[in-house]
Amino acid sequence: MSIVVQDLTVSYGEKVVLDSISLEIEEGIWSCLVGPNGAGKTTLLRTLLGMAPYEGSIKDRGVEVFKSRNRNVAFVPQQPQIPQGMSVAEYVMLGRAKRDGWGNDSLASRTYVHQVLHQTHLFEMKGNLVSHLSGGEMQRALIARALAQEPELILLDEPTSALDLHHQIAVLNEIEELKESGVTVISTMHDITLAAMFAERIIVMKEGKILLSGGAQEVIHSPELKIAYDNRIEVFTLENGRSVIVASKEDFN
Amino acid sequence: MWNWRITAFCALILLLVAIAAVSFGPISINFFKVFKTLFDLPGGATGQNRTVILQLRLPRVILGVLVGAALATSGAVYQTVFHNPLADPYLLGAASGAGLGATIALTSTHHNLQGALPIFAFLGGVLAVVTSFFISGKFFADPNSLLLSGIAVGSFATAIQTYLQQRHSAALRPVYSWILGDLTSASWSVVAWSSIYIAFALIILFSVAKQLDGLMLSDEEAYSLGINPKRLRIIAVAAATLATATAVSASGLIGFVGIVVPHLVRGLTHRVTNRSLISIAMAGAAFLVLADLGARTLLSPAELPIGVITAFVGAPFFLVVLRNRRKIMR
Repeated sequence: MSIVVQDLTVSYGEKVVLDSISLEIEEGIWSCLVGPNGAGKTTLLRTLLGMAPYEGSIKDRGVEVFKSRNRNVAFVPQQPQIPQGMSVAEYVMLGRAKRDGWGNDSLASRTYVHQVLHQTHLFEMKGNLVSHLSGGEMQRALIARALAQEPELILLDEPTSALDLHHQIAVLNEIEELKESGVTVISTMHDITLAAMFAERIIVMKEGKILLSGGAQEVIHSPELKIAYDNRIEVFTLENGRSVIVASKEDFN
Repeated sequence: MWNWRITAFCALILLLVAIAAVSFGPISINFFKVFKTLFDLPGGATGQNRTVILQLRLPRVILGVLVGAALATSGAVYQTVFHNPLADPYLLGAASGAGLGATIALTSTHHNLQGALPIFAFLGGVLAVVTSFFISGKFFADPNSLLLSGIAVGSFATAIQTYLQQRHSAALRPVYSWILGDLTSASWSVVAWSSIYIAFALIILFSVAKQLDGLMLSDEEAYSLGINPKRLRIIAVAAATLATATAVSASGLIGFVGIVVPHLVRGLTHRVTNRSLISIAMAGAAFLVLADLGARTLLSPAELPIGVITAFVGAPFFLVVLRNRRKIMR
């Protein structure tokens, strides 16, 4: 087991956002957190990063996360703060900062970043300012920075939410490649259909609790998923065996 | 990816401006003579000219360098920390706090207190910023809440200052001239104490300059890249505030340097602000020394307040840079 969460509780003032969660996440697989808005997905992701204060325990390979500053975890936020005046190459190079020390770009890092820029099809625009990138390009730059980090674990908050259908698949393919290189992936996603296509494991959350955690196909056809969304979703199975989840229209009356 | 050429260019400009500022004034002294006097070479100025150079102009130029570097660097750091291109060093109440401190000293009937004006201004500025910290409550978790409480504390201090001014109308003129800022107070003793604080603050800021790039990202991203964003914000804001409060207590409120210079250097170099922090410091120093030269010589023998010059020259220059930048972006 890579990450073991036990009785994790996170509160903002009086409000309990995560309510004694227990969870085990295997190394080297892609787990996806799904659930309605306010379920606590992003908070769980931030807590796994080790930044937010919590009660209970989160052990990453045996070490409590808030005590460990040496973990190499990449974080891809839903809405990144876009730095002014920074080029794409400089932005991706930030991924090496923890390795080299801030501002000391080693030759090995520069070579590695070149390779990452090619891999993510950003090489042609490496001199452009990140503030001038389109939504899809920005998402690729974020993934590229995470790749440059050579992380053991990558946390992605809604990596596809701002993208068109084509770019969604492109970004998810890149994350899948990352996973295949041995990185543990944990993401949140609103699109359960896409989550089921890519993630091996789906964790269903509602109101700060985990309703179900299991294999993608098992979770999609489970009653817990419908409960999480107050029975406002429908699951269809296509002829090729793929499952599609849509919101049901009549429930909104 | 440091570009040493920009830094070297700024250093050269600063040196030239500084020597020019020592040479020109009501009494003009030959450039080479100034150079020889400064470096104690044979053939330097003697008598009255030597006194003018070493006791009047040199401390004033050095104070200009210190104050300009302090304001420009603090402005650049505040702009990064608050993700706000319009942030200036006076944002967190440092200016209004120092203004209140100075007003208390100037309106006091006690002569000794008036002599302690720099101390009052310094304490007022630091106290206002510290109050903003505590009122914001979230202790740097959210830079915007600090910004808002800074504005509130600033307004409060200004209100008290206005009340005091109304009650002591005789002090109106000195308070007003202090607010516009000047370097006439420059002497070796002022240079000595202000250089200690400003050098200390700037060394801290230069040493964390590269990490400040991380504060341009969200806190989670910065943390995952190996930075403790809350701690870095406290260090950066504390050092920038120390530099600002010292600058204000030595020379009053000199506006515009903290906003114009960082943007100017960034606009001309197309580089991330933090990576040019040393260049920004030197450009700020050169800008202020040049502005002071203008303040001394334009209406000679009368002196203009330096704040008038920085705004009068700074504002149009700033607009030109802004316009050119927009053209490039299109």
